[in-house]
Amino acid sequence: MNIALQTRSPALSEYYSETKCIWCDGCGNYGIWTAVKYALVELNLHPWQVCLCYDVGCHGNGSDKIEGYRFHGLHGRVIPFAAGAKLANMKVPVIAFGGDGATFSEGIGHLIHGLRSNYPITFVLHNNANYGLTTGQASSLTPQGQPMNTSPNGIPEHTLASMDLIFSLNPTFVARGFSGDIKLMTRILKAAIQHRGFAFVDMLQACPTYNHFATHEYLLDKYFDANAEGHDPSNLQQAKAFATRVQDRIACGILYQREDIPDFYNRLAPRQGLETTCVEEVRKYDVSEYWKELV
Amino acid sequence: MPRISLKMVGASGQGINSIGAIIAKGLKRSGYCVFGYREYPSLIKGGHASYQLDVSNQRICSTETKVNVLVALNHHGLELNMEELKQGGIVLHVTPGWQFPEHHRKLIAERSLHVIYFPVDDMLNRLGAGAILSNVLLTAFVWSMLDQDIDALKSLVGAKFAKKKALLELNMRCIDEGYSFVDSEQGTISVALPPPDKGFASHLLITGSQAMGLGAVHAGVRLYAGYPMTPSSPLLSFIAELENKTHVVVKQAEDEITAAQIVSGAMYMGTRALTATSGVGFDLMSETLSLNAMIENPTVFVLAQRPGPATGLPTWTAQGGLLQATSCSAGEFTRCVISVSNSQDAFDLMPVAFNLAEQYQISVIVLTDKQIAEALYTQHPYDLESADIDRGRLVVDPEKLKFLKSSDRFDPHAKGGVSLRWLPGSDAATYCAQGDEHNSIGAVEESSLNTRLQMEKRLRKFDGLKAGLPAPDLSIGGRSAKTIDWMDAGGEIELLAIGWGSTGDVFQDVMCSDELRGRRIAYLHYTYLWPLRTQELQVLAKRSKRIVLVEQNYQGQLGMLIRMSCGLDIPDKILKYDGRPFFYDELLSSVMERCAVTSESEEKSPRFVYADTAS
Repeated sequence: MNIALQTRSPALSEYYSETKCIWCDGCGNYGIWTAVKYALVELNLHPWQVCLCYDVGCHGNGSDKIEGYRFHGLHGRVIPFAAGAKLANMKVPVIAFGGDGATFSEGIGHLIHGLRSNYPITFVLHNNANYGLTTGQASSLTPQGQPMNTSPNGIPEHTLASMDLIFSLNPTFVARGFSGDIKLMTRILKAAIQHRGFAFVDMLQACPTYNHFATHEYLLDKYFDANAEGHDPSNLQQAKAFATRVQDRIACGILYQREDIPDFYNRLAPRQGLETTCVEEVRKYDVSEYWKELV
Repeated sequence: MPRISLKMVGASGQGINSIGAIIAKGLKRSGYCVFGYREYPSLIKGGHASYQLDVSNQRICSTETKVNVLVALNHHGLELNMEELKQGGIVLHVTPGWQFPEHHRKLIAERSLHVIYFPVDDMLNRLGAGAILSNVLLTAFVWSMLDQDIDALKSLVGAKFAKKKALLELNMRCIDEGYSFVDSEQGTISVALPPPDKGFASHLLITGSQAMGLGAVHAGVRLYAGYPMTPSSPLLSFIAELENKTHVVVKQAEDEITAAQIVSGAMYMGTRALTATSGVGFDLMSETLSLNAMIENPTVFVLAQRPGPATGLPTWTAQGGLLQATSCSAGEFTRCVISVSNSQDAFDLMPVAFNLAEQYQISVIVLTDKQIAEALYTQHPYDLESADIDRGRLVVDPEKLKFLKSSDRFDPHAKGGVSLRWLPGSDAATYCAQGDEHNSIGAVEESSLNTRLQMEKRLRKFDGLKAGLPAPDLSIGGRSAKTIDWMDAGGEIELLAIGWGSTGDVFQDVMCSDELRGRRIAYLHYTYLWPLRTQELQVLAKRSKRIVLVEQNYQGQLGMLIRMSCGLDIPDKILKYDGRPFFYDELLSSVMERCAVTSESEEKSPRFVYADTAS
């Protein structure tokens, strides 16, 4: 992240939107939405300084409930769009949001290559373990056997081991939050936005309408702040164990982070030493030097 | 127009491209216009491939089916390509003891062909050179047949090995050996070239893909994302080759969807970014096209056509993507479809495409095809002055940014439907680039009134865009003519042909042929294909005795768009859909047939009708 110093600190009210919230009562989106605003304010970012990119789903209906330069795109595609935005202007923090449906089904290729590429963006997974906006179908993160809309007998497929997948891709930042703990989510988001590579943030989120297995109460009972219990995010083995073992207790917090791996942009040889962004470089170029070899 | 053609044939990987490239460059430097055309199967080594050079001392940009010289690097060429030789042509081959079958012996006699066996293995042994140098030997011999200066070839080949002295020496000895070879039976044979025009010496030898890449950089493209697919891959390769000099961000994406999304994100942020693909790759990009329409995000997509459906003929050419470009993707929205025609406008149209995209905040699809992408053109160095960078209603001035309201971004009442645009990171009111139907600030709004207003805003751009597009290019008898002059006066047109894309250059060559020079044959060439401007065509059609559509697709897709736009139906079509471009002699004979018919049926009414009056 590269944020210019501001003389005037932002107020939380700068992020207020006139558009009214339309989520269900008790939806986890309220908590995540609030934590995002807190994190941006605490990072001293005004709305005009940030780019917030939303995938499609209930969380995406938050794209007009907050200020900032926002984008609300197509299902599953938010990661490459956000990556393109960031690569074009490295001076603007870019945060992408996507649900578990989009991210682990239609857009799973983008997630994999986003992690592999280590794009310098933050990705926030709104994880309510189902397709909310299309009325409660199973996602690949819904537990196998769980009856859902379109799968009344329970889904026959295996549940995708999302954290095993994430850790197989050599991530540089993995965190997990819970929509009921705004303070914890705020801390995680601040660290994620300041992280130099691809920050994967799994936000466990209540879906009171369609998720009757991992409810707010269930998550509230099981989650804990692993960092508060002394977990060191540089400990890969411990991080993996915390991330994947969720039967008894669910470890939250910054599970894993390493800062020694350059992000995608900083690996681009042609961009080394350049101070300008691609956005600033748009002008007419004399290309005659490049055709000399063709004469 | 004098024209000579040389064709190198062999297996992919045997070196026909390197022979072709060196001879092309040498001849260009000597003052010839060279047009190079490659045919090859979709594999890396083996198969039967060709590299043909058509040469003239005047502008030439087409390929003939008949050749003056055939260079066969293996016996398959002797089996497959003999029929292509012109009267008195030369067959140069390297297959020892080759016995031609009876029908070829007859052909050799009838056409007085000169068959030369070039003992390349003996020469390599004598020189102690590896097989890789057989191409140098052959090149040198062809060079001597063309009566070209040996030193010119030496300096051309030498430049490659300037730092490797031993290799340089060996190459020079091969050139001497090959150049001085004389076939014992045929004696000294030469191919008569017309006198050179030194003007060509300073031209570039460039493919359409290279031209497009240079044009893109010229136009301010700072990010390129792509997924390899012929014939769009050479553009990706060329942009990547230049990256250390241009500092352009290059991303080989995991698929076409990703490439389209990365480019869209980058354009939303405010840089100029480009992607290219072909056929089914563009299908994958089409959802992003729809998205960009809704968020009014300027974007440019290159669609490099090859025959379909599906993966079709991967390494061959077509113009079957026109309706795909004009019609694909969900919802109704304004888009612009333009097509490059050759190495000149492949360069010139890149700034134009980005300007149109930014002026109207729409997607512009730039069509090219395998023929343009990979053909080798003799190209005058580009004009670097005339292009502008026009970013439309983009607000960057900090003073003006202060006064912006969020509702300016998608103001439905904006003139021509084009509202103000400003970039993320600007110290100003913010907005949402909203993929759902939205109001002026980008908040989701589904009301009837808002839906109508926003639809009308986005589609109103079509009228302004259409009104501002240039007229199609008219040429009469091979000379460029002002469309406007021919609309009101200018006499009767014997034959009016209509085409677009790579067809244009071949038609130009046809009109300049000795057979048709001076005839009142008109060719109307469409660069701007959607929206389609038809007022000139409608007037010209009335002045023409006969009208014909020339396209490289099965349905006559431009003809369909013409009929859709103005009702003019063109039943007579010259269509080609076999993966090959129009060849000069083939198109010439199609046009001559029609001219003959035109003269015979002088009194008859023109063979075209308006759809609304047709029975």
